[in-house]
This record gives sequence, structure tokens and C-alpha cells, in this order.
Amino acid sequence: MNKALRKPWTYVLFLLPVLLLYVLFFIYPMIDAFEKGFTKWNGIGAAQFNGIKNFDRALTDDKFWNSVKNNGYFILFSVFVQVPIIIFFSLLISNVKKLQGLYKTVVFIPSVMATAVIGILWSFIYEPDIGLLNIILTKLGMQPVMWLSEPKWAMFSILITNAWQWTGWYVVMVLAAILSIPKEIDEAAVIDGANGFQRATKVTVPLIMPIISVVIMLSIAGAMKAADIVIVMTKGGPGGATDVMATYLIKYGITNVKYGYGNAIAVLIFVFTLILTVLYQWLIARRSERIEYE
Amino acid sequence: MTTTLRAAKKSIGHIILWVYLIIILYPFLFVLFSSVKSDNQEIASNPFGIPSTFHIENYYEAWVNAKISVYFFNSLYIATLCSIVSVILASMASFAITRMRYWKTSKGMYQFILIGMLIPGNALLLPIFIMLKDAGILGTHLALIIPYTAGAIPFTVIILSAFMRSLPGELEEASVMDGLSAKGIFVRIILPITVPALVTVFIVNFIGNWNEFLMANFFISTDELRTLPVGMVGFRDIYNTNYAQMSAGIVYSVVPVMIIYAVLQKQIIEGLTAGSVKG
Repeated sequence: MNKALRKPWTYVLFLLPVLLLYVLFFIYPMIDAFEKGFTKWNGIGAAQFNGIKNFDRALTDDKFWNSVKNNGYFILFSVFVQVPIIIFFSLLISNVKKLQGLYKTVVFIPSVMATAVIGILWSFIYEPDIGLLNIILTKLGMQPVMWLSEPKWAMFSILITNAWQWTGWYVVMVLAAILSIPKEIDEAAVIDGANGFQRATKVTVPLIMPIISVVIMLSIAGAMKAADIVIVMTKGGPGGATDVMATYLIKYGITNVKYGYGNAIAVLIFVFTLILTVLYQWLIARRSERIEYE
Repeated sequence: MTTTLRAAKKSIGHIILWVYLIIILYPFLFVLFSSVKSDNQEIASNPFGIPSTFHIENYYEAWVNAKISVYFFNSLYIATLCSIVSVILASMASFAITRMRYWKTSKGMYQFILIGMLIPGNALLLPIFIMLKDAGILGTHLALIIPYTAGAIPFTVIILSAFMRSLPGELEEASVMDGLSAKGIFVRIILPITVPALVTVFIVNFIGNWNEFLMANFFISTDELRTLPVGMVGFRDIYNTNYAQMSAGIVYSVVPVMIIYAVLQKQIIEGLTAGSVKG
């Protein structure tokens, strides 16, 4: 019908800049990491192929496994502590009519803030002498806690800050799903004599399982991504107690200029994320997708 | 009786929600109060209260002597430029993907770009670092500008494609009849209708770039070129004995985003949550 919309070079022209940037900053670095992960390279001269040595080194290094474990804490904390809290608050907000907009607006605020700034803000709150938390503890007659410098508390403190930052974001997502459920379903449950708790657990939660599944998946992805909060609050310390895979990568790959080893860690991050995604799809997503609205 | 019971339950709900709101807002208030207090001693002895005297000079010290102003304008410039460029480029690509419907590879191209949402960003940090080093731009603003612009592409293309796909096809058929070229259709027909979506992706990208920390921390090494989040962390590490000034610095970093959020919260929430669900 028209020539203007058929010319192939027009498409190329419109797509070229994006494709170029995308390949250069997404596809190429990914391939490059896979290639360089099998080399010994300090950035000067040519990279020397050294087989699976880097991977062998990482997988037998306790410090690496410690960082994997800390990513695991992020995942466990988000899935088993944060997600129930998110569901609870979403249900609560969906049930109030007054001030619903205010709650929704305020809980989302930390999600638009820079993680670095939130890390600084919370380091201040955790500060041993003049930080808000220890002042409260002392006023209650309790012992002050070295939140960020004691190994047994440092990871927990970071997890709390991370939860403080992201809970509201997920609440807003889940809330949107709850509010889109047809009113008649809930009304029918009321007529059947269901109380608030029964309606929440038997009607609303089953209906929002797909979005809960998305929230869990995003929490896992977020837990794998966490790095800036750690660098800002503890730099991985004390003594590596809060290192995650990404900060371990930065320590070796960028700070100590071990490019080959660093890229091997990058590959391991890819692989671990992929395994989690596949496992998750296989174990949970497949099941929850079956629940339909109508 | 049941009505009082229900009312009681409702107010319990509100009380719990207010506790949540206080947990969210109080840290900001704590920092806001601390920023005008005289010194650490006043912060420690009067942590909850309104300051006895207002030390506005903390703001001056942070802005001028601690160079928050330099970091602030670096961030503003980089975040604005990158967001504009990625929105322009992504809108062109989305136009090609969704509106040129005689094109058979359109769906494959969309899915190819979608892969970007699944790649863990941290794993790309080192290869991009090496690439920028080889290109000789590591340590300059370009080392942030190009990756930020590129990094926003998958999300921006997804949102804009979804929006453009929902536009009726008759629009450009009519324009072709009127003799417009593909470029003309894009500029005169599609872009003006897409403005709401363009604003959303611009704001979401702007906030993302304004807040970015990892690349900004490792790709830039001169103090004069640092962005606000990195500058703030350095500022804390140097001035960590002066919490009043540090608080003033936090206020500077938080206020711009707060203002944008207050004005455009609907677009921001839609943009962020849409981007995440698709990912």
C-alpha cells in the first residue's frame, strides 16, 4: 500500500543507535566475561588462557562461599520475612478507605531514594554513640549495640535497611493487584459469612498469587543485585562478614586488578542467577500460574 | 455491637499503618533536625526534639566547602543528558519495532532487547570497566554517560513499545495517504501522542541515573567529576565526626527526588512497577 513503511533501510536507521548501544553494553560484555573468565590477566599485555583455574580457585575459596552465603541471607530474609510483611501491609491498606492515598504515597518514598544515601542515613542511625537506635536502647536501659562493626549484627543491620528501602515498593505492586480484584468476589464471600481473616486468606491471597510470585522472583533478583548498600554501609566488613558476590567481584576484579579472576566471578554470578531463576520457575511459578481469576 | 467492633478493627488497622509511616518518615525527620543542630553533643543529648538553635551554616558548609554543589551539578547534568538521549533513541527503536508492521523480524527484535532485563547488572560491571579502560574514557564523564544511556534501553523500549502498540493503526495509514514519510509519521504523529509515556520513562530513567552508585564509584576517580551519591559517601568518610553537616548533605541529596516524587508520583510508581513486572 505504501512505500514509506516498507523500506528496510528506514527500520535500520531507526533501530541502529539502540542496537549498537545494546550490543555494546549488554551482549558484548556478557560474552567478554565468559571469554576472559578463562584467562589470567592483569590488564597489561595479553590475557593468557588458563582453563578452569579461576573457577576452581573461586569454588574452593571460603571467602567466595561466604559471599554466596550472604546473598543467600538476602534471599531468605526477603522471601520469608519481607514477603509476609508486604502481603500483610497490602491487605491492611486495601481495607482502609480513609487515607489510602497517603499510605500508598508515603510507603513508596524510600524506593525513589538513592541506595547510597539511604546507606549513609542508616549508618548514622546505627552510629554507636549518637545514632538513633542506640539512644533508644540506652533510654530503655539496655546495652548499646555495635550495629555495623560487630560481625554478628552487621549483616542483620544491612538486611533491615534493605527491607526498609524496598518493602513499600512491593506493597504498592501487591496493592494494585488487590484493588483490581472484582468487588463482587469479596462481596460474595461476605454474604457467605466469611470474616475478614477468612476473606484475606481464602479469597484475596489466592487471587493475588501470580503477583506474589512476581514479588518473590523480583526479591530474589534484588537479593542477587545487592551491592551498593553493602559497600556504603560496611564495605563488606567487618572481616568480610557482609561481603556479597558482587562486592567480592569488585574487591578482586577492580580493586586488585585481577581481571581474569574477576570475570570468572562475573560468570558465576550469571550462572547462580540463572540457576535460581530456573529453579524458581520450576518449583513455584509453574504452580502459581495455574490459579486463574475467573 | 458489630459496628463498634468493626470500627475498632478499622482503627487498629490505622494505628498499625501509622507505625509503619513513622518508621518510614522518622529517619528523614531525624536527619532534618540533626542538620541544623550545633554539634554531635546536641544530637546525642536531644535526638528527638526540635533543635534549640538553628545552625543554617551547616548547609552552607556542606554546599560550598564540602563540594556538595559540585557533585549536585555533575549528577544533574549527567542524569538529564542520559535520560533525554535514551528516551529519544528508545522511542525511535520502539517506533520501528511496533509501527512498521510489514517487518517480519519485529517480534524477534523486541525479544532480543528484552534479554537485557534478565542479565544481572553486577556481572557486567567488570567487563564494561575493562571496555571503557581500553577505549580510554575511564575516569571521564563519558564513562558514565554512555553506560547510563545504554543501560536504560531495555526498560525504555519495553514501556514505549507497549504504549505505541496500543495506538490504533489507522493513524499512520491516514498519514501515509497524506504523503508523510516514516520519519514524518514518527515526529508528527507518534511522538506527540506518546508524550505521557515519554515523560514517565524520562522521569524513571532520571531517578535511576541520579541514584546510580556502583559505576559512578568505580568508573570516576577525580573528586571534581563525582556524582552526588558517590560524593556523599566520600563526604561521610571524611567528615564522619560532624554529623550535623553530614545530615545537611543528606538533605541536599534527598530533596530533589522528594520534589520530583511529590509532583509526579503517579508516573513514577507506574513506570517503576511496570518496568519491574515485565522484567
